[in-house]
Amino acid sequence: MNILASYKWLKEYLKTDLTPEEFARELSLKSMSVESIDKGAEKFAGMVVGVIKEVKPHPKADRLRITVVDVGSRMVEIVCGGSNLEVDQKVFVALPGARARWHGEGDLVELAETEIRGVKSVGMICAPAEVGFEKLQGGEKEIWDLTKVTQAPAGTPIAEALDLEDTIFDIEITTNRPDCMGIIGLAREAGAAVEAPFVWSAPQLPTAAAGISVTIEASKLCPRYIAATVKNVKVGPSPWWLQKKLLQAGHRPINNIVDITNFVLHEYGQPLHAFDASKVNGGIAVRLAKKGEALKALDGKDYQLTSKHLVICDTERPLAVAGVMGGLESGTTQTTTSVIFEAATFEAVSIRKTARDLNLYSDSQLVFEKGLSTEALPAALARALQLAAEIAGGEVVGITDARVGEHEAESYPVLFKKIRARIGVDISDENMETILTRLGFILAKQGSRVVATVPYWREHDIEAEVDLTEEIARMYGYHKMPLTLPTAPPPILADDQTLVWEAWVKRFLASVGYTEFFGYSFIDSKSLEKYGISPMDAVRVLNPLAEDLSHLRPSLMPSLLRDIERNQANYPHAKVFELSRVHLPKSGDIASDAFRLVIAHYGVDNAEHAYQELRGALELMARKAGLHFHFGGQVTDTRWHSARSTQIAFGEGDARKVVGTLGQVGDVYQQAFGILRPIFVAEIDLEMLMPHMRTALSYVPVSEFPVVTRDISFVVTERTEFTALEQMMKAQNILVQKVALVDIYRGKGVEEGKKSITLSVTFGSTERTLTSEEVEEIMTTIGHGLTGQFGAALRS
Amino acid sequence: MLDQLKQLETEALAAFSVTENMNDLEAARVAFMGRKGRLADIMSQLPSLSNEEKRAAGQMANEVKAAIEGAFAAAQSRIESAFAELNAERAWIDTTLPGEEPGLGHVHLTTQAIADIMEIFSKLGFNRQRHPDLDWDYYAFESLNMPKEHPARDEWETFFIADPDKDVVQMGELGKVVLTPHTSNAQVREMQKGQLPIRMINIGKTYRRQATARHLPMFHQFEGLMIDENVSITDLRGVFDFFVKRFFGEGTKTRLRPFHFRFTEPSFELDISCTVCEGEGFVNGTKCKLCKGGWLELGGAGMVHPNVLKAGGIDPKKYTGFAFGWGVERTAMMRGGLKMDDIRLMYRNDLRFLKQF
Repeated sequence: MNILASYKWLKEYLKTDLTPEEFARELSLKSMSVESIDKGAEKFAGMVVGVIKEVKPHPKADRLRITVVDVGSRMVEIVCGGSNLEVDQKVFVALPGARARWHGEGDLVELAETEIRGVKSVGMICAPAEVGFEKLQGGEKEIWDLTKVTQAPAGTPIAEALDLEDTIFDIEITTNRPDCMGIIGLAREAGAAVEAPFVWSAPQLPTAAAGISVTIEASKLCPRYIAATVKNVKVGPSPWWLQKKLLQAGHRPINNIVDITNFVLHEYGQPLHAFDASKVNGGIAVRLAKKGEALKALDGKDYQLTSKHLVICDTERPLAVAGVMGGLESGTTQTTTSVIFEAATFEAVSIRKTARDLNLYSDSQLVFEKGLSTEALPAALARALQLAAEIAGGEVVGITDARVGEHEAESYPVLFKKIRARIGVDISDENMETILTRLGFILAKQGSRVVATVPYWREHDIEAEVDLTEEIARMYGYHKMPLTLPTAPPPILADDQTLVWEAWVKRFLASVGYTEFFGYSFIDSKSLEKYGISPMDAVRVLNPLAEDLSHLRPSLMPSLLRDIERNQANYPHAKVFELSRVHLPKSGDIASDAFRLVIAHYGVDNAEHAYQELRGALELMARKAGLHFHFGGQVTDTRWHSARSTQIAFGEGDARKVVGTLGQVGDVYQQAFGILRPIFVAEIDLEMLMPHMRTALSYVPVSEFPVVTRDISFVVTERTEFTALEQMMKAQNILVQKVALVDIYRGKGVEEGKKSITLSVTFGSTERTLTSEEVEEIMTTIGHGLTGQFGAALRS
Repeated sequence: MLDQLKQLETEALAAFSVTENMNDLEAARVAFMGRKGRLADIMSQLPSLSNEEKRAAGQMANEVKAAIEGAFAAAQSRIESAFAELNAERAWIDTTLPGEEPGLGHVHLTTQAIADIMEIFSKLGFNRQRHPDLDWDYYAFESLNMPKEHPARDEWETFFIADPDKDVVQMGELGKVVLTPHTSNAQVREMQKGQLPIRMINIGKTYRRQATARHLPMFHQFEGLMIDENVSITDLRGVFDFFVKRFFGEGTKTRLRPFHFRFTEPSFELDISCTVCEGEGFVNGTKCKLCKGGWLELGGAGMVHPNVLKAGGIDPKKYTGFAFGWGVERTAMMRGGLKMDDIRLMYRNDLRFLKQF
């Protein structure tokens, strides 16, 4: 949460001469972060008070007028569309060079002398919204009548005339510090940070007779409730000084009574509420709503209440949702003459739950739900009563202070030695005591210990001894602390090996030409269904952000196909992969996650070649990771093309397990995803393989004797498998070391249904050099094998 | 005979000067100088001469021989260089042709950043551990000193997991299952392994209910956790500074700013000097668009709260520690000075984007 804090307002309570920049820097380093600094003098440069001397019609436009305006040093003519222009009126003039927002919309633009429908216009007579006061009543269209706002003569700079020579800080307040959501709390905190005197004495409640009866029924949810009745109030607009402070704070001025509550909220950080006393029947009760009760809130909407919602009631009905929003009916209006100011503390969690439950939020609720102190109430209410007398003529006639139990402040020992160890800096006991005292802690000796009593405004924040460390460390200044590197021996512990292999596989695949896909864990049920996965078999998000983020991926295939479809127009073919954990549902437990890998070629022209390339990449990857894959076995899953796919297995003998599939995506699935050309994919359960991956190396001795290679070409029927040819050749003689594919040819010169294959056969021995005679002899037997077993026709 | 020798020299020099290839040259050499060549032929007359004539002829023969050999060598190098020129002309290639890139693939920006981040922390003895990105409420919130209904939880708009049978997956004290909104669920999980000291990095996917041009529903965080005896704030400062200087460059400055997190005490935000304006806050006199007054917020950190240590079974009287965490994508983009108008491109798998990295 953020607060817009006027530096002038802060300085009413904080005696400092720091420049705004110095102040912001110190505060950011030791306390709250100042996110922006807005200087009135800069913002309102080139803007002055003008006095209208003449209003003339525009010759070419009925809706526009030409005004002659006294801007101090001279008279200027300004074309203006405002309908409320009058002679002698004081107006807000932005002269050429000033920066304004046309009609309160869009970006700030620098004004220049211009012609509006043929008439020269020097500057602009502004509406509030055009100069940053969108929240001021009076609309966005009407020009801002300053006649009653300022006594300053024509030509006075606006910042001076409207007392806007100020700096507004936008400060982020952390959720544990609602006390800094008010100017006084912030000034107190800043005083400790910049080491300047904080000057404030809490105003006292006037002595008054007992007021309206207050009954707290839900005592756990409302520890204290003070009601003050004020009569003879005159409801009307607040004076400019108060409106200005509210506007600078980001509040919308409404009427003096409501403005007082907002003013005190901003100055004291304590929400107040004002009821029209004539609308409150009998006494006030703080209780849980009854079934069937409803309230029309100040936002004009009706809210159905339940027994979970704390409400403020009179003897008949709910008047307000406690701490969240008042009712429209019991609110102050122009005819209100007597009001009841409420200052109360509510239990934070209850406020929070109610706001979420009703989807009803307000500035008050935002502060209440962070937790406030019962001890903050009297001063805040006293301030409101003071203002009610000052700007609305009200007289306090009765005050009722209802509370549950007495306030007890917590205290914690200051463990100087431990604090020094945690911080790592030698800060003296005295220095620590000074810091704590400046922050409002009361220090006392208890035996040999020093004990710090928590000030009431910090009571929900400081909840343990360790919290004092932070107070001391930040006020000492993190920026003053040295930098040290840990000198103790690190734990002897390796990185998680699955993560090491994840990174390794990604790097390997990129190095051999594949581009990494990296997708959301989310998937939509349509994509799942397209790939034949029931959404019931995927982990479902209870509160998805959008329909296409409804489930978690149980497989990388649906998103792979979806993303290939999206890419095919720009990249008709590509090699891609994705390695990610998928989530597999487990009833009543967290889903298990497992690493999966998909590697794909899409936009394939030559199926056999794509298969070979993909398999080659897999085999190389396996070899580098100390694995060996076996390819084979019918794939019966229709997601895969039955004639162009094979299983990938790992392990020897009984331990052999299928770990994936390599092949072409089934036509039906390819079409379902709208993909134009064949896709070859290897899908692998990497989780299963990871424990077997090894970086340990092995080698085969290199033979001293040369090898001999011979190529052989022949024509065989289409269904002849390479592996069968290889096995036959190797079976001929132990000297056959390797059979490699050189080329497969189909087409001209080769009969339909047949293919021409060229293989390269390598011969070698680790014991001697081979003679060409023995090689030729083996080649002859290989030739016989080809013709005899495979019906091959040898080509010469 | 002296005339014959002079004549031979003249003829040989003439013949060598017109030969155009090595074969002709060699044939000419043999014809003049070979064992049965013309010089040998002339020299065969020598025995018939007087001693004085022999001396004169011998001297001249040597001179002629040297001249012919010199001419031969000159002709040889003339032919060789002519041949090399011819070869070069035939061997010409077009060196203005565009380069053909090797078929290298691309790892994703996030993958690269994770590797770079991990490499730096490895140097300080941190190790990377695996923790789930779906987890019990207990690990994501409760054990991190964030009881149910605590307003601090509002900072994370959290996704919950549905149970196929019931409404939500829920189990006793562990609570509901959430998509982790931060990587801090690893803290108590790592402590529960029961091994001290701890120097852990957890890099994982995190999820928040937000999807705009600047916020992704899924992004990555990395979490560092160090627990040992006598770990202090100055150690956190040192480790943070070490990382930043290595990742962003030696000139980068760091600072800690007070902040509030429930699971650390004290808590900080970690800032680095802006990579665009180099900490000045202004570029050519106008306010820097990337940072706030010269500083960029990188992430959150703090000293592990005693309640969190207790939840992890560690004695807070004996051990202290720090934890930090921040966004991987943001960190990567800040280093590269990448200004992505729409961060959603990160995970859209558009090859036009992916192939740039």
